[in-house]
Amino acid sequence: MSARPQLVALPGYRDRQPDVHFCGHCGHAAVVEIAQPASRVCSRCELGLLIGAPPDLAPAPSDPFLLVDSTLSVCGISGLAEDLLGVVETEAVNRHITEFLVPADAEVSGPGDLVNLLVHAARGAGEVHDVVLRPSDEFGIRYWARIGPCGPPRAALLVLGDGRIR
Amino acid sequence: MRTLKTSEAAAVLNVSPNTLRAWERRFGYPKPQRTAGKHRLYTHGEVAALRDALQEGLSISSAISRARESLSADTAILVGALQSFELDRADVAMEAALALRSVERSVEEVLLPSVTEIGSRHGFDSAPWAFAARWAADWLQRAQRLAPPPMRPAAVLIGDATRDDLDTDALALKALQLFSVRSGARVLVLPVSGVAGLVDVLRAFEPQIVVVAGSAAADDHVARWAYRVRSATGALQMTLYRRGGAIDRPARTAGRRLADAPGEAHRQVLDMLDGRSRQLPGAATSPSEPAVLAHRRRANA
Repeated sequence: MSARPQLVALPGYRDRQPDVHFCGHCGHAAVVEIAQPASRVCSRCELGLLIGAPPDLAPAPSDPFLLVDSTLSVCGISGLAEDLLGVVETEAVNRHITEFLVPADAEVSGPGDLVNLLVHAARGAGEVHDVVLRPSDEFGIRYWARIGPCGPPRAALLVLGDGRIR
Repeated sequence: MRTLKTSEAAAVLNVSPNTLRAWERRFGYPKPQRTAGKHRLYTHGEVAALRDALQEGLSISSAISRARESLSADTAILVGALQSFELDRADVAMEAALALRSVERSVEEVLLPSVTEIGSRHGFDSAPWAFAARWAADWLQRAQRLAPPPMRPAAVLIGDATRDDLDTDALALKALQLFSVRSGARVLVLPVSGVAGLVDVLRAFEPQIVVVAGSAAADDHVARWAYRVRSATGALQMTLYRRGGAIDRPARTAGRRLADAPGEAHRQVLDMLDGRSRQLPGAATSPSEPAVLAHRRRANA
């Protein structure tokens, strides 16, 4: 056996599909234009930056979503999420995520709670989790959401879905 | 200060000029100045700060927030310098601000907020406020000395109705004066308390617009001064700047109100000078008779 060091793929890592890129404002997939130099700004709406995420997490254009950093501050909010939560992005940025969304089940704690999931995702933990959330100041409304990592830069992506099971 | 045209700024940010204009509409940043021909002129420092922030941002909003924070460091430095009574360091902070912004924006975004912050912390009758206000007044005076000679055939008469140099409105008045001088207008500031010999001065100066600035002087003094001005120069546009106080003041003096921010007030003055006066907030409909005179008649009756 050779003493030469070898690169070995981590278990499961090889099967991981490449990230898809979407606009952080309109949610549309990135349009690659060969004629133009690379830019992170969405060429469709011009109001969002392109973010990468695993295919099973990346939002569809009809999905509202938020981007949250490891300090749990909102870093971006899609146009649909602005409408859904009744807040504009410029006012939402740098505010704590729990000002907008909290776990629907207040008794959930430990590794499954919202804060833990967001912090882990923002640190780049690869899994996607499903949670149920509600607006922080309203009861009786629930959003099914999926949380996972996105970037660069590294952050947590919180996609508010319509309740369909992945 | 280095400035960029729209196409140049767009190239630095690697976006289209349309994108830049869309950001200005939605986020108010980057905030361009306008040339005489109304073309946008971006500050290189602002564009560069945004370019760096975009590399590390998750959204345009967060990048702009970060870029704004990096620019607001100048204000923190100036507040620190004024807090510790270091005039040299305060001058250096303004030099740093001028490297990224125009004189007008440096005054509006760094100098005035910093001095106001000192006043808020210590009180507007405190020694630190007096120190900061005097330094700011001196800085504005120095900046005015460096302004180009008058180029416009425009003359603005400012009636100083502030209490003294330490009046909170006095710095805004000086800023408005500086901006007007820098735009090429002739500016004359006279106290509203002095009416003797006013007619001779005004016949020589021939103002096109009169601005009454400050709220310390009594209405009667202002009315008497305005009456003298009108009798010397005819029916001129009379505008009010930071003349708050009594609720019925605008109605009694019939003056149009300028915005509180000196930059916006200056733009309104320029618009009026250019004969493109837009409807100002709280504007009185052009009175057929100067209300100052009417007020005098009522007072006499």
